[in-house]
Amino acid sequence: MNCQQFQEVLPYIIESGGNADQEDHLRSCEACAALVQDLRYIAEQAKLLLPMHDPNPRVWSNIEQSLQREGLLQEGRMSRQGQTTKYPTIAKQTKSGTVLGWLLAMAAVAALAAILVNYHPRPVQPQVTTADNAVGKTPFDADDQKILSQVSQQQPDLSSAYENSLRQVNSYIADAKKAVDENPDDSAIQEHLQDAYQQKAVLYEMATVRSLE
Amino acid sequence: MTQAKKIIASGLSEAEAIDRAKGGDAEAFEGLYGLHKRRVYSLCLRMTGNTAEAEDLTQEAFLQLYRKIATFRGESAFSTWLHRLAVNVVLMHLRKKGLPEVSLDEALEPQHEDGPKKDIGARDNVLAGSIDRVNLERAIESLPPGYRIIFVLHDIEGYEHNEIAEMMGCSIGNSKSQLHKARMKLRDLLKLSRAEKANRR
Repeated sequence: MNCQQFQEVLPYIIESGGNADQEDHLRSCEACAALVQDLRYIAEQAKLLLPMHDPNPRVWSNIEQSLQREGLLQEGRMSRQGQTTKYPTIAKQTKSGTVLGWLLAMAAVAALAAILVNYHPRPVQPQVTTADNAVGKTPFDADDQKILSQVSQQQPDLSSAYENSLRQVNSYIADAKKAVDENPDDSAIQEHLQDAYQQKAVLYEMATVRSLE
Repeated sequence: MTQAKKIIASGLSEAEAIDRAKGGDAEAFEGLYGLHKRRVYSLCLRMTGNTAEAEDLTQEAFLQLYRKIATFRGESAFSTWLHRLAVNVVLMHLRKKGLPEVSLDEALEPQHEDGPKKDIGARDNVLAGSIDRVNLERAIESLPPGYRIIFVLHDIEGYEHNEIAEMMGCSIGNSKSQLHKARMKLRDLLKLSRAEKANRR
């Protein structure tokens, strides 16, 4: 048996072994023996290759969204894989009005922030805006009540303005949640929700910082 | 703590997570994703050589998993079952793209264009001990798609030729021939890479 003949059948015998002639050739031919050694070495090394790569977190986000669209998964929740969050919705027809409301609420928060940072003992007029009529009586949760109680004890002059700002921010968080529920793929609406949460965080922080002074 | 570790830490076994996922438990399914995403994605990436495609195919594999998990009977290991599902997803994708998974026109007789290998000083030129995994991964990425798929399925993922033949609709002989060619190509690439390194010194 020559090298050409041996290498022709090599694909079919490399794992199972060959007949006597083929094994004889392998023992006697350095080139073919080196070739077989290399090919087996490559196969052995390949078995040691571990799965090395994790997919981008957006893969999980996409999976979650697809399953939600198909109705196979309930509303999303905080996910460590894709960082999706639960998003409510805003009715589309009120979208432009709601955006204006957000801007006004944020302006109110910014104004309140300016007031608290540069605190003056004289009374401050509450921030009355056109959004006030749309806010309604948004209930405060336990944390809100705690903060309001703190502010009313430590900054009674600002209590009314603070409560008004907090009510506005809560109202617009609720609206933003509704909007995201209806438009889960709209990143701009999601950013608005995040901004609304941040404004609330600013309000809380202001009250907390003041209480530590 | 990742969702995958929570499955283990909370005492929820993979089997329990599978049962819950069958019932539509989204968190259990997310845990299964966490446990298996790396292997599925790595498989898709190695078989396609393309990150974007691999992400899409990983997504599709897990979507199919969610839809089909109720049919998992436990006759094989869950990872094996999922793995096979992922392979089928990739192969379906490649068929749609029209890529030749295996050269079905290839005769069983091996090609002779290269002639028999008669390396001079063959014993001194063997690869044994000289391959690092990074170079091997790079060489695998460089393989033509048909060779790469067979190589990944057989030598990395451990499928037998009869399984590969069934999956890819080719003969066992064809599967062996393509695998041989893949390994030969890798041998050339790795030797070239080693020679280049030696020249740089």
